[in-house]
Amino acid sequence: MSHQPCAIVGIGQTHHKSRRWDVSLGGLVREAARRALDDAEMDWDDIDAVVIGKAPDLFEGVMKPELYLTDALGATGKPMFRVHTAGSVGGTTGIVASHLVETGRHTRVLAVAYQKQSEGNAQFALGSGKGASLGAGGAFAPFMRSYIQRSGAPLDVGPMVAVKDRLNALKNPYAHLKLENISLETVKASPMMWDPVRYLESCPSSDGACAVVFTDEAGGKAAAAAGRQPAWVLASAVRSEPASFPGRDPVRPQGAIDCAAEIYATVGVSNPREQIDCAELYVPFSWYEPMWLEAHGIADEGAGWRMVESGATALDGDFPVNMSGGVLSSNPIGASGLLRFAEAALQVRGMAGEHQVDGAKVAMAQAYGASAQYFAMWIVANSLDPFGS
Amino acid sequence: MTTTRSVEATIRFPYKRSLGPVMGAFMTALTEQRFLGIRSGERVLCPPREWDPDTAADLSADDLVEVGPAGTVESWTWVSSPSAAHPLDHPFAFALIRLDGADTALLHAVDVASPDALSTGMRVAPRWKAERVGHITDVEAFVPGEVPQGGGGAGAEEPVTMMDYDAAITYTTPVTRNEMRAEAANAEGRFLGLECPACARVYLGGRGFCPIDALELGPEHEVELSQRGTITNYTIIEPVQYPGQTETEPFARVHVLLDGSDVILGYQPVVEFPVGDVRIGARVAAVWNDTKVASGGGIELDGWIPTGEPDDTDPNLVNRIC
Ligand SMILES: [Zn+2]
Repeated sequence: MSHQPCAIVGIGQTHHKSRRWDVSLGGLVREAARRALDDAEMDWDDIDAVVIGKAPDLFEGVMKPELYLTDALGATGKPMFRVHTAGSVGGTTGIVASHLVETGRHTRVLAVAYQKQSEGNAQFALGSGKGASLGAGGAFAPFMRSYIQRSGAPLDVGPMVAVKDRLNALKNPYAHLKLENISLETVKASPMMWDPVRYLESCPSSDGACAVVFTDEAGGKAAAAAGRQPAWVLASAVRSEPASFPGRDPVRPQGAIDCAAEIYATVGVSNPREQIDCAELYVPFSWYEPMWLEAHGIADEGAGWRMVESGATALDGDFPVNMSGGVLSSNPIGASGLLRFAEAALQVRGMAGEHQVDGAKVAMAQAYGASAQYFAMWIVANSLDPFGS
Repeated sequence: MTTTRSVEATIRFPYKRSLGPVMGAFMTALTEQRFLGIRSGERVLCPPREWDPDTAADLSADDLVEVGPAGTVESWTWVSSPSAAHPLDHPFAFALIRLDGADTALLHAVDVASPDALSTGMRVAPRWKAERVGHITDVEAFVPGEVPQGGGGAGAEEPVTMMDYDAAITYTTPVTRNEMRAEAANAEGRFLGLECPACARVYLGGRGFCPIDALELGPEHEVELSQRGTITNYTIIEPVQYPGQTETEPFARVHVLLDGSDVILGYQPVVEFPVGDVRIGARVAAVWNDTKVASGGGIELDGWIPTGEPDDTDPNLVNRIC
């Protein structure tokens, strides 16, 4: 390892809802940050630097929110960084914070990501303020149609993902959507929003925030000695590629393939499905689960949907995906990436409650953004050497 | 990159703000022509916050205290040419005003005739609006003296919890040489392409560079593109209604592969093509709109219309999406 180890010792998130009109924007991010500090047994004073991520400013109309929220996050007089990578920003925010520890620049770093979608309108923002916005669903629909055709996947696979993630959300007290009676039939009966994707195969609009406290090797070991299991960041990577050029394959973007390859190589993973216990993948529309299973080398090309169909990605399957309920159940956009990364850490800390995967030691998280062109991934584990190399 | 003109555009949106327990109480008090500060240790902060700005410690709405209404100017700056977004339509000062009983300053307008009438340390009092909604502009401005002006009427019947925030931004985007040449071709009802000299990929005209080779493209790389093509993929969008939405019915967006090239135009509108008929393989042609020509404008692309030719049945067309 060419850098110093980094441990996650605190995780917090808000209850995600359509409208968190009970709190101000500052109150929202503080709710997540306070829970992360409490989990880490730290206070504002203990933090050396803050990294903040959110989707573009048009979502809430707060320009330079990193300045607006500096004192709300205890960053007065401290380094404060803003990260911009569209929908993948929550993941990148966690990675930037981990780098600040890994390089030895700071000892304790707080990462916070949020969105308060109810203050604006996502379709408006994604359409650059013009009429006839495609929305994210409209932009991704052709990619999903291409996947369905080339993989030969049965059309029930998308709805199966939608049901599985919403059932997982019932076990997560922070999840936004709680659809008690969801079934393949109700998903298939829901309106077609962005052909071939239905309403119940799409993510909600949520208000919410997530926060993670990172510390160095000594801090991680001290937490472990005190009986508080840390999650160790074993590998992280980001990749991006242009939105369009002749020969680009947005179903299997090269950026996604390379990003996954880097984190596997860093940790020494040759067979991710065998060696990684579970994954939180950014799946805002149902078909993205099999698409990412393939593009990240967890399933062979054309076989991702078979993992879904066989139940392998269910909470009790051999490779659970989106144990938290995923983006399909809670989507405070800017926070969604960090929520994936935080859930992977909760799993290896054994702190995921009812959605805990038994014995999870190594977990992967991914976030993607814009036209499926920005990628952020990491692998976390319950020890620095989970494979006993 | 050479540019000779710019286009101006304005984005506006009626955002909402949830105020939270402290700022909500402050705004509610404004409707009652009162100012609230909040106690944090030895200090009283006005405007009040939910947290101490130095330590981030939680502050409680139980510790709100009334301050003002008069105060002292701690610093000021003169606004000689107010914009539409400013609180007053004539020259005024922005000032940091420490209200009586507070230890921190509130930023607000001071309405005086000239900068000669201002000084640090001068005493000011609020001029209230007659109609107050729970917004910082319920105070029209501060004026010299000790006695509040204006106001009248009752405060809000319910606590104020939300605030409207109508945001607008106007920005100018430079139009590049390539974009101007592409527009000029469109104005003649033609599509211009740009072929990368290194990788031979062809891009729709207007692009400034090949993203693969990081090579600048220019007039010497221009090629003529077909105005016919085949639909490779599509989506039908159920429009979500938001301020500024122009669609009310489901609408199609199609990917078109232009004949004789690798150029794919993504998310294109269709013309005289019912959403139920939109399909992969359908042959389409560009439809140009010349209604602006009479008034000195150019021809613009309206979208793509079915040609009636037999469909292309290549099963891999669906994968031609970038
Ligand atoms: Zn090239």
